[in-house]
Amino acid sequence: MQVEKFYYDNRIVKQFAFATILWGVVGMLAGLLIAVQIYLPAANFGLPFTTFGRVRPVHTNAVIFAFVGNGIFMGVYYSLQRLCKARMFSDLLGKIHFWGWQFIIVLAAVTLLAGYTSGKEYAELEWPIDILIALIWIVFGINMFGTIIKRRESHLYVAIWFYIATWITVTMLHVVNSFELPFSMLKSYSFYAGVQDALVQWWYGHNAVAFFLTTPYLGVMYYFLPKAANRPVYSYRLSIIHFWALIFLYIWAGPHHLLYTALPDWAQSLGTVFSIMLIAPSWGGMLNGLFTLRGAWDKVREDPILKFMVVAITCYGMSTFEGPMLSIKSVNAITHFTDWTIAHVHVGALGWNGFLTFAILYWLIPRIYNTPLYSKKLATNHFWIGTIGIILYTIPMYWAGFTQALMWKQFTAEGTLKFQFLETVTHIIPMYITRSIGGVLYLSGVFIMVYNIYKTVKAGSLVADEAAEAPALASHIEPQSKQYWHRWIEARPIQMLLFSLVAVAIGGILELVPTFLIKSNIPTIAAVKPYTPLELQGRDIYIREGCYLCHSQMVRPFRDEVARYGEYSKAGEFVYDHPFQWGSKRTGPDLARVGGKYPDSWHFNHMQDPQSMSPGSIMPSYTWLYENKIDTAITPAKIRAMTTLGVPYEKGYDLKANADLMEQAKKIQTGLKTEKLEAGANTEILALIAYLQRIGSDIKNAPKPTVAALTN
Amino acid sequence: MFKKYSSISYWVKALVVVISIGFSSNDAFAAGPPKASELSNPLAQVLLVIIVGLLLAIGLLANVILGAAQVYLQRYKDERKKGNNAVGKFLTIALLCLTTSALFAADTPAATAAVTEETSIAGLSLTSFYVMVSVIFLELLILWVLLANLKKLLAKEAAVIADTEEAAVKKTSSFLLWWDNFNSFKPIQEESSIDLGHDYDGIRELDNRLPPWWLYGFYLTIIFAGLYLYRYHVAKSAPLSKEELSIALEQAAADKEEYLKKSASNVDENTVTYLTSPADHEAGQKIFTTICAACHLADGGGSVGPNMTDNYFIHGGGIKDIFKTIKYGYPEKGMKSWKDDYSPTQIAQLASYVKSLVGTKPAKGKEPQGVLYEEKTGTSSATDSTKAKVDSTKAVVVK
Repeated sequence: MQVEKFYYDNRIVKQFAFATILWGVVGMLAGLLIAVQIYLPAANFGLPFTTFGRVRPVHTNAVIFAFVGNGIFMGVYYSLQRLCKARMFSDLLGKIHFWGWQFIIVLAAVTLLAGYTSGKEYAELEWPIDILIALIWIVFGINMFGTIIKRRESHLYVAIWFYIATWITVTMLHVVNSFELPFSMLKSYSFYAGVQDALVQWWYGHNAVAFFLTTPYLGVMYYFLPKAANRPVYSYRLSIIHFWALIFLYIWAGPHHLLYTALPDWAQSLGTVFSIMLIAPSWGGMLNGLFTLRGAWDKVREDPILKFMVVAITCYGMSTFEGPMLSIKSVNAITHFTDWTIAHVHVGALGWNGFLTFAILYWLIPRIYNTPLYSKKLATNHFWIGTIGIILYTIPMYWAGFTQALMWKQFTAEGTLKFQFLETVTHIIPMYITRSIGGVLYLSGVFIMVYNIYKTVKAGSLVADEAAEAPALASHIEPQSKQYWHRWIEARPIQMLLFSLVAVAIGGILELVPTFLIKSNIPTIAAVKPYTPLELQGRDIYIREGCYLCHSQMVRPFRDEVARYGEYSKAGEFVYDHPFQWGSKRTGPDLARVGGKYPDSWHFNHMQDPQSMSPGSIMPSYTWLYENKIDTAITPAKIRAMTTLGVPYEKGYDLKANADLMEQAKKIQTGLKTEKLEAGANTEILALIAYLQRIGSDIKNAPKPTVAALTN
Repeated sequence: MFKKYSSISYWVKALVVVISIGFSSNDAFAAGPPKASELSNPLAQVLLVIIVGLLLAIGLLANVILGAAQVYLQRYKDERKKGNNAVGKFLTIALLCLTTSALFAADTPAATAAVTEETSIAGLSLTSFYVMVSVIFLELLILWVLLANLKKLLAKEAAVIADTEEAAVKKTSSFLLWWDNFNSFKPIQEESSIDLGHDYDGIRELDNRLPPWWLYGFYLTIIFAGLYLYRYHVAKSAPLSKEELSIALEQAAADKEEYLKKSASNVDENTVTYLTSPADHEAGQKIFTTICAACHLADGGGSVGPNMTDNYFIHGGGIKDIFKTIKYGYPEKGMKSWKDDYSPTQIAQLASYVKSLVGTKPAKGKEPQGVLYEEKTGTSSATDSTKAKVDSTKAVVVK
């Protein structure tokens, strides 16, 4: 057979590697800032774009899509070429992919800090960027499939299965969850409302973890771990079973983010059982990783790269066991909305994604620069500092979450709540401080790595085009004698793509479609009316400032929550909420029943200086709301968009909306004046107050059914 | 072969145990309407998980011992063929006893677990708690015995190996042996026999069998999923979220009533009197700084809420009025109800503290609001303005 000579493209790998490092540092710095802001409100600096609610999405998006995203591309561009024995399909597409992705990241950072957000966690980017993401993702797909098609290797290695499943699933998730109706150049409303929006969002959110943070990283693990350990992969049949089981089961598990919410019970139960069934398939990856190291454990003692990998895989195993446990309702009742979740995701992000990325960087940079790593010792130090950082980060957070949840639930013998919400927050401040120290340690480890890699790069020179040779692929596929049944599909990438799509589409369809089509899933409530124009504007301010990142709007049917906040939330209350704002974390109290709880003047003082109304509060102040005027020019467009989405405003209301808006604002302003509080005409604070006073009040003001009827 | 067979039989047993737990609970529920089962008690769940976990451990251990014993037996049989010997007989009997006891051990918890379910009453009764704990102890005991036996067996086997094959194999720790068996590892030196011959950029793939515990664990989770959906959505024998709430509320109401019957703190707006002791005022002041200061300022001067230091009150200034205002609130005026947050005694302390503020000098007092309140002669017999209004307000505030 003819042996062909060709060259691997290392330049693109280098670019993605450097981007990974850069965005890793940026994302972690943002994380450190918000970690400090939690116990030091002054660190919000009183500026809109440095306040927690806007920096937090920058942190999450930077770490997930910029740091890990570039990490994925680095790993894929390196391993795919070698596993296919072919150069990447197109250098140009690679360039477009790289620069397009970096452009998206910059756009994302700028728009998020400027307050343009869709208000859906991990999918915060607004519609023009969503479109851009889709385009660049397709460029990546073409480049990947082009390479696979022109490969010189007859069968696809397990790493590539994971890449293919990742690509098709992320495409599906991104498209479905980003359905939104633009009403201006940079703003849109989610196509879905309330319960449906929540279900789609967490179907997406959970599978962003699955198919952005897990499957592509399993893929790169399958390449770099056997390489680094120089050991054969432990079990091929385990690869097959855990791959298909994982992608099929993962997609169903989304509703476990919505246990005890207004989501129909059947969907919640599906979320629970599919999460439990996920333990084994997830652990299949861990076992195949750790058992591959059989006979190489003596190397782990000396090699920092293997050390990083072992901890990464262990963290993966821990968090994929913990996840299903958190999906059990009685556990979820304690951990949800607390810092336990934060601890859980950081075991995954810092341990699994972070450490595996570092291992790959340490392994790959010396190879493409054709020089040994500058210092093994520094890398080992990085490992230890990072590990201590992870421990110091997560343990206080687990502790804080558990403590706070128990405090929330505690009643006195007389049947009253034992702790005010704020008391439970101030109690865990020491844990927040320890957590940020853990973060500092982890980040300093990263700086050690930056130095180490800088020195390595300086010492070597990039092998931009690495020579390789392989026999051309025979046009016919060899007759299958006694082969695994699975070998058939491994030689057929397109079928692989289609089968993966089928596997991931089933769960999504069976959960989403009934929730949309069956009316009984969301019983309507007559008292629930659309927002007034001022409230709508206020709601958009609420979203813009990222209030949902610290305040939930979902009273769960628990005794303590009903006592603390009021009646539990009903599905029918959210039918006009585009997007839903249930939140996932209670750094501050739930707001689902805040409407009418305090006078306008309380909110007025509180937003300006939270500590004046709640001494010891850790909420930042929002002084700019008192100067900014409401953007009334956009009101008609907003009303029109809402009407298109099915909110029953009367015909032609878009033109009358502003008059109503001014009237309501005037009323609030006059009310404040009687309390000697001066609010500027049509300032944003008036809209926000209007919205806050509205939340959850539709049911409150409606004639009350008896207690028995409510609880049944 | 033999090993494989024994492991399957064991797993069948384990499944029967799990299923019996699941179904026996269903039977318990089938009788009446769904109520809080002991299964939803967190303690019970934790104990159950421990029981099942230990059960699995026992089963696996029994499996390993069976395997080891089989090897051992085989060797003795071979030897016996050469020359009959009494020790061999004795050992065979002893081993048989051991293995059967191990199998029975796996059965006992199943029986007891079923008993636990049948005797269950609401809440985790003492009986079930002790039964579960003793099951755990029993299981631990069995584990300990099994481990001791395993150790003996392995030591013997190691000695035999050392004798017969003399350092042909490196001496491995008993844990490693167990670990290899547990995962059904292929020895590393035999790796080439399972090399699939794949070569992806130098990466080879082995064809190791799936770790049995992983595979059966996977089956278990699938069975769990089926049982879970069956219990919640077909048999409807476990409470869904909203039923859980009504159970919790009923329980709480009953507990509260029980408590108030026994305690002296059962004051309300009709029986409350002005508390004079400094301790009460101190307690009241503490609550005041926590919750009231936000709107009424720490010295009671008033900001969002009215001034507490002047003698003007919107809703009456008698101790009973103030008590009622705090207890039920006037939500339409921004005053929240605090009855779910503080006990009657605490509200009485707070009301007394508030009353004691009248006449003090705040740093920045708000202008008076409401009407001037005049205490009727004699502090104790003050008939408040409450009485007249009580009916009309009650209608508003009572849920």
